[in-house]
Amino acid sequence: MSKGFASSYRLVLLATTVLLCFAGVGARLVQLHVLDRARLVSYVDRARRTVETDRARRGDILDARGDVLATSRPLVQLAVDPWALEEYIEHVAKHNADRAVALESIERRKRIALAQILAMPLGDLEEFWKPDWRKVDPELDSRDGLRDGRIKSRWVKLDEGVTESVFNKIRGINVSDVDEPEDQISAVYKGLPRGLTISRHYEREYPLNRLAAHVIGFMNREDEASGGVEAFADFYLRGQDGWRESEKDGRRRELAQFRTRQVPASDGYQVVLSIDSVVQHLIESELAMMAETYKPEKATIIVSDAKSGFLLGMANYPTYDLNHYTEVKLEVQRNTAVTDLIDPGSTFKIVAASGALEDGLVTPSTRFNCSIASIEYKGRVRRFMPDEHTYHHPLSVAEIISQSSNIGAAQLGMRLGEQRMYDYARQFGFGEKSGFPLGYESKGLLNTPDKWSALEITRIPAGYSISATPIQIHYAMASIASDGALLKPQLIREIRAASGESIYNFGGVTRRRVMKPQVARAMAQMLRGVTQIGTGRDAAIDGYQIAGKTGTAQKLIDGKYSKRHHVGSFVGFFPASAPEVVVTVIVDDAKVEGGTNYGSKVAVPAFRRVAKGLISYLDIKPVEEITTQPLLALEGGRR
Amino acid sequence: MNKSSTHAFVNKLLVYTVLTIGFNGTVGLGTVWMRHQIAETAAATKQHENRLAAVERRLAETTSRLAAEQSPDKLEAKNVSVNLGLVRPEESRIVRIEESPEERLAAKRNLEIFATDVEGDFASVQFKRHVQQPL
Repeated sequence: MSKGFASSYRLVLLATTVLLCFAGVGARLVQLHVLDRARLVSYVDRARRTVETDRARRGDILDARGDVLATSRPLVQLAVDPWALEEYIEHVAKHNADRAVALESIERRKRIALAQILAMPLGDLEEFWKPDWRKVDPELDSRDGLRDGRIKSRWVKLDEGVTESVFNKIRGINVSDVDEPEDQISAVYKGLPRGLTISRHYEREYPLNRLAAHVIGFMNREDEASGGVEAFADFYLRGQDGWRESEKDGRRRELAQFRTRQVPASDGYQVVLSIDSVVQHLIESELAMMAETYKPEKATIIVSDAKSGFLLGMANYPTYDLNHYTEVKLEVQRNTAVTDLIDPGSTFKIVAASGALEDGLVTPSTRFNCSIASIEYKGRVRRFMPDEHTYHHPLSVAEIISQSSNIGAAQLGMRLGEQRMYDYARQFGFGEKSGFPLGYESKGLLNTPDKWSALEITRIPAGYSISATPIQIHYAMASIASDGALLKPQLIREIRAASGESIYNFGGVTRRRVMKPQVARAMAQMLRGVTQIGTGRDAAIDGYQIAGKTGTAQKLIDGKYSKRHHVGSFVGFFPASAPEVVVTVIVDDAKVEGGTNYGSKVAVPAFRRVAKGLISYLDIKPVEEITTQPLLALEGGRR
Repeated sequence: MNKSSTHAFVNKLLVYTVLTIGFNGTVGLGTVWMRHQIAETAAATKQHENRLAAVERRLAETTSRLAAEQSPDKLEAKNVSVNLGLVRPEESRIVRIEESPEERLAAKRNLEIFATDVEGDFASVQFKRHVQQPL
């Protein structure tokens, strides 16, 4: 190195220049990082930082067979920024007018293709691309730099949601010359029309439409669960949205390398119900047929497993399509099986009979005079509710049940006394909520004995002067089918992770023991008499021991029991000696020729059809020899 | 400080400066290359995530369509439109077999094998079931 270069003058000059440069850089750094920090950080944040939400998919609701009852379908919402195209064309035209004309033509061809995909008239579609203004409060209007009380309308919804397959067609729009090689087609010719924006979301869908509508419930437009399993199991179903904090480039694309924090979305759990869609379809078809034949006001069919209490089917008429829930009135959306009260009528006679047997006050063969109109009880004469038939001999307890004698039931109630009668009604679950998991359950109406009038000891044992929900009536009968244990209505069998892994399994729950097993079995045999020699003979099925009880209650209209409006019911189970299913059919105010709608006329045939369907589907084997010969006989595996 | 030692110091300083610049440049370029690699990897990962999400969306859509096609109403309509004539089985048409079907089919198969006429020098073989006598 020459001595001249390293002279002290030049050295000092160089050092000073370097120092000044460093000082300049330092001063600028202080200005940027200290003095203007807040403003610049906020600007950078606005310009570059982005927080994107990763939507969790709501879990599916499955039936016992794994069929999907409710699922979340991904949809793509389409919207248009009408100004985007105009502004783009104007910008290009400033530099190259011919190019702008060509681009306009390309974009129009894209919109023609879009209209074809969306099956929409081109004229209608073009309306979405017409730039428009939106009125705003002049005080708040500064978004476009002018305080003129209007801003450009930047978002017009084109379609609420198209499926992924339709969106893939839109994304694949290619308006180039068809003879052009694929790899030489310019990006301008392909893809979304300019101004079209998308956003993805999930829409709740119910593939089986109206099947089990009252059980499943629905998600409303605000994406809130409304009723049914959707609301009850919302905690499991809804999942947890994820999010990621990152930076975006000038074209608003995420720069993945600048992701700072990321929480992945956790999809909702699957909820597996005990409802079987085949059983549910069977009972809903039956309800539809009953509705067409008898034009009832309401009707309910419930099917449950006799041993565990799990519901296999629960259906009401009228019902509705879950995908079009807005088209029906609110009362149609109500699960009347758990909310509406009816007088149980004769089905309630099982309470007085079971109680008297359990307390050892009677045996199945104990006889009562059922041809009397009144009786003296606790020093006062009490008039009975009249029976339909007159009996020429005293009826045994078994006959009281099979012939459904109001007078006999009242005398059983009198043997028990008001307090024990009340206690047994409570034991059977009347006057309290059954614990059915989906909300809005009514607990029914059962007054304490101190509020009973003098006549009520003759009315309540026959199923009048009390009110109960269909599910209470069903589970009261189910307690006889389950050897005397009152079971909790169960609907959810399992909670599964989105991956299919089991999270929790639910089992049957016994609420309490109502009667001894031997009393329950004696009651089952007495109830079998109903379908053998009693009021429910039409429910009998060859080879199967059908046990059950008919019920017909007059409806209370304007404070009086109507002779024209009834609630007919049949609650039963089979096979009586080894019960497998419990079925309840309740028909409210059916229109029957002759003006009456006894349970035996309306509910019993429906019960039989449902029972036959259940026998073949659930493979319930006969417990007695079938007397009718099979139509097709196989021998030795050969025809 | 004499001139020769000053020159030596300046020369050393310049050499070190050049070396430092070279080193920093190398580190800088390395960092840029590394950042580029990170960016490429992140972009590739994001692309995979997007493809995975797209597959999941297609799966959800297919599940939904499949479930709708399997609805009882649609199946019943198809039964009519395709003239399948399927009906719910009635008890009178069901024959319940109490014995094990596997054993019955095995016995039937064995019977067919051993009932075949054997030609040639092979002697016919009979199998007897051995019953253990009680002690």
